[in-house]
Amino acid sequence: MAEKTPVQLFHLEDKRKRYRRSDFYLRIGVLGLLFLIPFLFPSYKTVDLAMKIVIYAVLVASFDIMLGYTGILSFGHGMFFGIGAYSVAFLIGKYGDPSYFNLMLGMAIALLAAAALAVIISFLSLRVKAIFFAMITLAIAELAIVLATKLSGFTGGEDGISLSMPGIFAVSFSAGEFLGIEITGRVFTYYLILLSCLGLFIVMLRFTHSPLGRVLQAIRDNEQRAEALGYKTFIFQGISITFGCVMAALVGGLYAMWVGYVNPESCLGVFEIMLAVLLMCIIGGMGTLYGGIVGAAFYLITETFLPDLQHLARDFFPNALFLHNVLERWSLVLGVLFILIVIFFPKGVIGSVRDYLARGSR
Amino acid sequence: MAKENETPIIETRDLTIRFGGHVAVDHVSMAVNPFVLKSIIGPNGAGKTTLFNLLTGQYKPTEGKVFLKGEDITRLGIADRTRLGMGRSFQLTNIFPLLSVLENVRVAIQAREGVGLNFWRNYLHFSAYEDEAYEILKEVLLDDKWAKPASDLTHGEQRKLEIAILLSLKPEILFLDEPTAGMSQEEVPAILVILERLKDSRDRTMLLVEHKMDMIMTLSDTIAVLQDGRLIADGDPEEIYQSEAVQAAYLGGGVKGE
Repeated sequence: MAEKTPVQLFHLEDKRKRYRRSDFYLRIGVLGLLFLIPFLFPSYKTVDLAMKIVIYAVLVASFDIMLGYTGILSFGHGMFFGIGAYSVAFLIGKYGDPSYFNLMLGMAIALLAAAALAVIISFLSLRVKAIFFAMITLAIAELAIVLATKLSGFTGGEDGISLSMPGIFAVSFSAGEFLGIEITGRVFTYYLILLSCLGLFIVMLRFTHSPLGRVLQAIRDNEQRAEALGYKTFIFQGISITFGCVMAALVGGLYAMWVGYVNPESCLGVFEIMLAVLLMCIIGGMGTLYGGIVGAAFYLITETFLPDLQHLARDFFPNALFLHNVLERWSLVLGVLFILIVIFFPKGVIGSVRDYLARGSR
Repeated sequence: MAKENETPIIETRDLTIRFGGHVAVDHVSMAVNPFVLKSIIGPNGAGKTTLFNLLTGQYKPTEGKVFLKGEDITRLGIADRTRLGMGRSFQLTNIFPLLSVLENVRVAIQAREGVGLNFWRNYLHFSAYEDEAYEILKEVLLDDKWAKPASDLTHGEQRKLEIAILLSLKPEILFLDEPTAGMSQEEVPAILVILERLKDSRDRTMLLVEHKMDMIMTLSDTIAVLQDGRLIADGDPEEIYQSEAVQAAYLGGGVKGE
């Protein structure tokens, strides 16, 4: 073989350094931490927070496939999350006994229902572009909330559905103590969901690094050019939407398993889920996938601990009235933090840091 | 090179298009032989780009026919003509700005090879595409910029990248619509070098619309001159240079000659 081109040399160098780069250790570190959390911080609040970060990180990543990789803004993503959550709740809550089989069946139904609906939505509305697509999906998402609320005989209405997990995942299950921690069904459920989310994330990574994922990025960049190269952009966008929505539904199913309760507000809500997901995606960095982890962690951690900050302030500075007034309106502080992030990390945390590192190495 | 009895690769017969009352292209009949570089010149508004649009399928003619290797392709769409080997570059730069220079070309090769629907393999698995993309970048003298995002390139370099994307589709016929449009004087020679190289390889037919007369005179094998949508002259550069009709058109039109 002739001498190597600079491109080949670059890839060889990249491969050689793969296990020596800091981001590799960062990934291992984060993953290790998530695996150890039930033992390191066994309080209900921390484990619950860690689990929700994992769930939302994967949900944001699935949203990023559409927004960051294909350039499609959909407000229907929360609805697909809800479809997954309700499918699982129907099968092991309202209409079936908690069994492993029903649980699997619930996830399978989530997948199929989401895929069918996503294909229909792409066919009906992809001909319209950008903001109109966002509007149509928003309308469909609102419709889904109305249906879930009004068809109370079928969906449980606003009261929602409670569900319980089967076998070793049941809350009441206990496998004795290990390292001083009681291994309950919750711990098993935590690992089940963590491993499932890891699997989904890896699938999405492969998807975005495939030839198809590359075409999606080309379409995001310049749809007309991509079409002139011979790609049928309509089909590619449809695949992207269907894939992203199916992922969201599976994550929704996992979410229902964790919280054990679904209702229209927490599983379908446009403002509760959609806006949070959009913010997380922008904070973390669009078109990076990993941005979902950063965005979800930042959003959920601040949302959980900012209210605590006011108690702290009251204990340590009992006389600082202004501080109390500000911290009482903690969502205001959250808003200011968002603005600062958007100003200082215009491409999101991951995107901006990558840019900075790339410039440093040149 | 161009023998008299050869089948033309592209031929038009009485090609005409009307926009309302305006006849943009008026009964143009011309033929282009394989492996020839043919330029189409004429004053502004003479119908050069419209003729290109008729040839590559953006417009459908009101009258007349287009033949590719003797086959009637008048009714075929853009995508079909692309698949038959007609590649087109546009007057306005048309690239993927956020992708790297190499990726711009690689994604085009991938389109040609038809593996775009593969969603599981890593794209680097198809490393031959990257090697080929790099070779094409070498051809257009952009290889040292391969890792940059395309939006970082100068305007002239983006035009070169566009030619690279076009070449990667391996068209039999290249349609170049003002490849030097909007370029600074310093950038033009680089494009000229690329076009000369492509021409010298003699493995594809090229059609060129240009305004820069010195460039046309040195590059072209044959030249067609349009005025008000009509073909007023068609011949080798020497003939065109001597032609009184052409001189009248350019002087009469009062248009930038040189």
